[in-house]
Amino acid sequence: MFKMETTKGHDRMSTQDLLLAIEEAVLGGETDFEIKASGQHDIGGPLWHPEGKKLFFHVWNAGQRVGSMALPGTEILVEESTSADVGWLNAGGIITVKGDAGDTAGHCSSGGKIFIGGRGGTRTGSLMKHDPLYEEPELWILKSTGSFSFEFMGGGKAVVCGVDSEDLPSVLGERACVGMVGGVVYVRGHIGTHPKDIVAEPLSAEDIAFLRGGMGEFLAKIDRPELEPELTKWEEWQKLRPLTKAEKAEVGTSRMSMKDFRLGEWVKGGIFSDVAHDDFEVHNSISHGLYRLRVPEWQNAKYAAPCEWGCPIGIPTQRRYDLIRAGRVDEAVQLELDYTPFPGSVCGSVCPNPCMDACTRRTIDEPIQIGRLGFLSAYAKVEGPKEHTGKHIAIIGGGVAGLSAAWQLARRGHDVTVYDDAEHIGGKLEQVIPRGRLSHELLASELKRIESMGVKFVTGCRVDREKFDEIRKGADATLVATGGTKSRFFPWEGVEHLTMGLEYLKKINRGEHPATGRHVVVIGAGNSGMDTCRGAYEMGAESVIAVDVQKPAAFREEIEHFESLGGKIVWPFITEKITAEGVYGKGGAFIPADQVIVSIGEEPVLDFLPEGEGIEYFRKSWLVPKKDQSIAPGVFTAGDTIKPARLTDAIGSGRRAAYHIDRFVRGEDFAPFPEKERIPDSRLSKEWFAKCHHCELGDPIDDHTRCVSCGTCRDCSMCLESCPEKAISRIEKEDGTFEYVSDPDRCIGCGVCAGVCPCGIWTMLENPEPIKMYSTGAKA
Amino acid sequence: MEAMKTQDVAVNDLPWIIDYKPERCTMCGSCVATCSFRSIHVAVKRRALTVSEEGQPKPVKRFEARPVIEQVASLKDFCRGCGMCERVCPNDAIKPVRNPDTRKALLSKDNGPIKRGGRTNLNAQRTLDSIVVGRISQMTDPSLDAARHTFDIRAPFGRVLSAKELPFSIEGGKLVQKKKTPPVHWIYPLIFSDMSIGALSTRAWEAVALAVGYLNEKCGLPVRMSSGEGGMPVNLLTSDYLKYFIIQIASGHFGWNRIIKAMPKMVTDPAGILIKIGQGAKPGDGGLLMEAKVAEHVQAIRGVPKATLASPPNHQGLYSIEESVQKMHLSMNAAFGFRVPVAIKCAASATSVSVYNNLLRDPYKICGGFFIDGIQGGTGAANEVSLDHTGHPVVSKIRDCYLAAVKQGLQGEIPLWGGGGIGMTGNAAADAFKMMCLGANGVFVGKVLIQLLGCIGNEEGRCNACNTGDCPTGICTQNPRLVKRLDIDRGAQKIVDYVLAFDAELKKLMAPIGNSSLPIGRSDALVSTDEDVAEKLGIQYVC
Repeated sequence: MFKMETTKGHDRMSTQDLLLAIEEAVLGGETDFEIKASGQHDIGGPLWHPEGKKLFFHVWNAGQRVGSMALPGTEILVEESTSADVGWLNAGGIITVKGDAGDTAGHCSSGGKIFIGGRGGTRTGSLMKHDPLYEEPELWILKSTGSFSFEFMGGGKAVVCGVDSEDLPSVLGERACVGMVGGVVYVRGHIGTHPKDIVAEPLSAEDIAFLRGGMGEFLAKIDRPELEPELTKWEEWQKLRPLTKAEKAEVGTSRMSMKDFRLGEWVKGGIFSDVAHDDFEVHNSISHGLYRLRVPEWQNAKYAAPCEWGCPIGIPTQRRYDLIRAGRVDEAVQLELDYTPFPGSVCGSVCPNPCMDACTRRTIDEPIQIGRLGFLSAYAKVEGPKEHTGKHIAIIGGGVAGLSAAWQLARRGHDVTVYDDAEHIGGKLEQVIPRGRLSHELLASELKRIESMGVKFVTGCRVDREKFDEIRKGADATLVATGGTKSRFFPWEGVEHLTMGLEYLKKINRGEHPATGRHVVVIGAGNSGMDTCRGAYEMGAESVIAVDVQKPAAFREEIEHFESLGGKIVWPFITEKITAEGVYGKGGAFIPADQVIVSIGEEPVLDFLPEGEGIEYFRKSWLVPKKDQSIAPGVFTAGDTIKPARLTDAIGSGRRAAYHIDRFVRGEDFAPFPEKERIPDSRLSKEWFAKCHHCELGDPIDDHTRCVSCGTCRDCSMCLESCPEKAISRIEKEDGTFEYVSDPDRCIGCGVCAGVCPCGIWTMLENPEPIKMYSTGAKA
Repeated sequence: MEAMKTQDVAVNDLPWIIDYKPERCTMCGSCVATCSFRSIHVAVKRRALTVSEEGQPKPVKRFEARPVIEQVASLKDFCRGCGMCERVCPNDAIKPVRNPDTRKALLSKDNGPIKRGGRTNLNAQRTLDSIVVGRISQMTDPSLDAARHTFDIRAPFGRVLSAKELPFSIEGGKLVQKKKTPPVHWIYPLIFSDMSIGALSTRAWEAVALAVGYLNEKCGLPVRMSSGEGGMPVNLLTSDYLKYFIIQIASGHFGWNRIIKAMPKMVTDPAGILIKIGQGAKPGDGGLLMEAKVAEHVQAIRGVPKATLASPPNHQGLYSIEESVQKMHLSMNAAFGFRVPVAIKCAASATSVSVYNNLLRDPYKICGGFFIDGIQGGTGAANEVSLDHTGHPVVSKIRDCYLAAVKQGLQGEIPLWGGGGIGMTGNAAADAFKMMCLGANGVFVGKVLIQLLGCIGNEEGRCNACNTGDCPTGICTQNPRLVKRLDIDRGAQKIVDYVLAFDAELKKLMAPIGNSSLPIGRSDALVSTDEDVAEKLGIQYVC
């Protein structure tokens, strides 16, 4: 027996001296200790007997941390009450405190048993743990604990018996078990609040077995065996334990859902229900039908193809190729004749083909061979009009403008008579264009075809003012299409030496072989100038020089042809004087010539038109028509009477005049001539087309594979095959036409159709269908 | 041959470039259908090659044309980098990539100044990030346990009288209040601020409001929301939830007709009134709502036709601070029987301290709060020049105002609320805590709320298309097709969760400095790793 009095008079033994003395005794084999302490710390551990014998400490007046780090085999009995941290980090000791324990009793203990015969202080049992290799630590308390008990408890068993605690609001103090993740606290009596992740529940049979098993020992240790009957009324007990992981997961979702809150407790129908009509349905970023951001529209033929737009007549060649591609060649042939009576003479022969200049295919490789395609329609027959209106239309002038109008009006069922002062109908095509540029046989055939529509030609008919009145009176409408018939020239010195180009060319075409010098100068290097040059060579000139004040305006092929004959063009050359020796230009230039022909254009001769009807003129020569191409009531005009231009322009002008005349004689109100915008190049997907080499161009009719069909569906079904939602279908109609349609219930508005469409037909629009979601809040 | 005009706008002039991998793309169309900005479309690309495979020059032509997704080279429909294409693509074939060589800002002024939404993109540097909570209670004094301790997290909204001004006297041994005191509400130190009906979609506005309702009713957090200057929904004005809402009056005075008409039907008072003088995102400018967003209900609530709505830069009837106090504060106090606190919000400015000093001197004790909004605040629409080149950081301004009050012994009497960029880097609690240590009584947030709803915009030029009406997330748009994309419940839940975490995080910061009430003015708790910041704010410099 090791006995120690730690005070002698006024001297008190230090903790260090006491603990070293105890340790020495243990090493010396001592097992029983009786210590009258005076507040020394850490009595009882960590100590072990060299032979493994049990150690017993009987302590009075212990200081803090009695039994700290006590090992298995150590038993400590503390008389009366003690200070804080009883059994701190207890690793297996049996520690009994007969009275109250201070704060943090059993703190961090993970083995052994601690019995408290009174109350525990704050944070009693905090951070208790259980190492699965050893048995669970136990902490028995007879009465109650202070606040914050069993904080962060990780394992072990605590028992709080609640004796003498009936008046306390909680035998566990305030906010017990915060941060508790393991172990169990058995408790008898009131408990205060505890965290949501801790559950209080009745004892199980197992729990009761544990308590019944331990209660006797506990009460014996603290000398209160008489309490056993009172403390074994198990219905008075409950236990606290942390929720399991699965239970925690359930608690986590137990908060009211936002939707339930909104529907059940929030402002009914939503705070905006008066002004926003919302079902609160949530859409994905992609929707069908009404909620698509964008919708496709099949805008077939909304725009003019560049060829169509570039052609003054407006011939939609893309439609011709679409028909050819569909095997409907006859319809393609007829289609062109709906626009012009001269597909061979003009489109195929003398036209510079602005259609081909504009052709989209030019931006890929070579333009579609539109000009040559005209020959396909050159000799085609056309059926006459089905109905006859009985309206008489007189056309003065049998050139292309007049004949174009005649053709259109005759096909619309009107009676048309064309008057011309020449022996042969056909205007410049017949009289001026060199035969080398235009087959006379072809021209004759196309003129015949106009006649076959019922158009009457009255040739050799000079129209003066009197005659004009007569013609006008006998007709429902009159078209003045006399063109430019007088060669223009400036008042140069020596104009008397000039030969008039127009007359010169007319003579050639009439077979009159006009007088021609050896060395000829032609003033004017435009297309008519080139025609004149070509004529001069044909008439035997040895050399021909064309002069112009500006860069020659003639087509490249015409200039090349002239130069291939040996001709030369001199520019800039500003003519000042013409003599028998030649022509003088500004700055002393001189070109010797024995004939100077002027070919800088023509102006109309309109002396037959009435005065006093307000007919407007430009520079006293050209007519200024109104927007329906009329110049006086019932009198219209077309072609070079308005302004000098190409043959194709005159045909277009004739076609437009015919449109207005037709409406006029039918008594319809004015309506503008229908015209379409040119399709923006960015709408086309030209990339589908591989470039071909210029030498690979075949027959024009085969160009249907190369034609992009700008703005008009080429029926390739790229859209149908590409649509990711399979929304597009092709509908064939009874009249042989077709349509591609997109099913709104399938379409997501992605625009793949628009992107892949080579022709620029499919167009994505912001979804135009309104959604009536918002209002002013007015009551319906 | 492919050629272009060098002055044409090209994709590489734009702020974002679509990184597209055709080999991964199946042309499902999802990205194009999703993109609300019309910034991508389907195009066709061809590859024509002449190759030789026989060891001698023998040309073989290869040609393939195929559809692809292509970015639109347009200064109007330019890619905003919102990344919806990337989100929807099932094959990782497409995403926007930031273009460091963008010339967009330079080129897109043909129709006047650039307008956009979002925050400043140039002044996004963060004072708060050079400050840390550096005074941790350890051996000196016990720190608190954030999980266990009870914290008093409430801030005043309303004029707080000093103890000596309290009209109490003792009569017959009982404490008697002799006269009325200004109304003060002790609320959560986080106010959801000032995003108008119109700037936000109905769903977005309601989602924020719903979160406020939930936080109050279900979580016990007295969070308040300010209406913004676009009025209030009548159903809310006449509901009991009004008590959680602060009604704003700004220079446009929009929406007040319906607010006043609803007064007889109100079952409770609003939480407060906020007079907006200016905002941090665009100081000197009034509110701006682009025509695209002025839908029928916005027209009705505001009483205007469909047009771009520019609020005046100033309240038209106010010419001075004194007048503001006497007229505006008085009218707003009077409107609700002097029961509802009235506060004022200004953009942070070099003159903020003067304004605050004037308010502090107000003999009527009628100003219930001074809200200072810094340059990093967001907006639905502003001139970019205002966003990027006007404004004032809020941090030092809060500090200056607080210290000015301290000098006069008046701190805490007119609560200081700071905002503008709070939560910009993700943690509003840390920002709020630091602001409070520097003198703020609380903070207000806006942008972070819509970011929680799903807004993907940021201050590095991502999206910021709040002004266009094309918001891809349905938040800042009145286009029903886009609004329907927003899940109001999910959005509100996200805000609630964030605020609950905010609350926990605030405690995590209060505990180590040993404060169980809000650490207003506890600048000793902060240290800065930036010497200049430390000196300016009067906190410890550490390194």
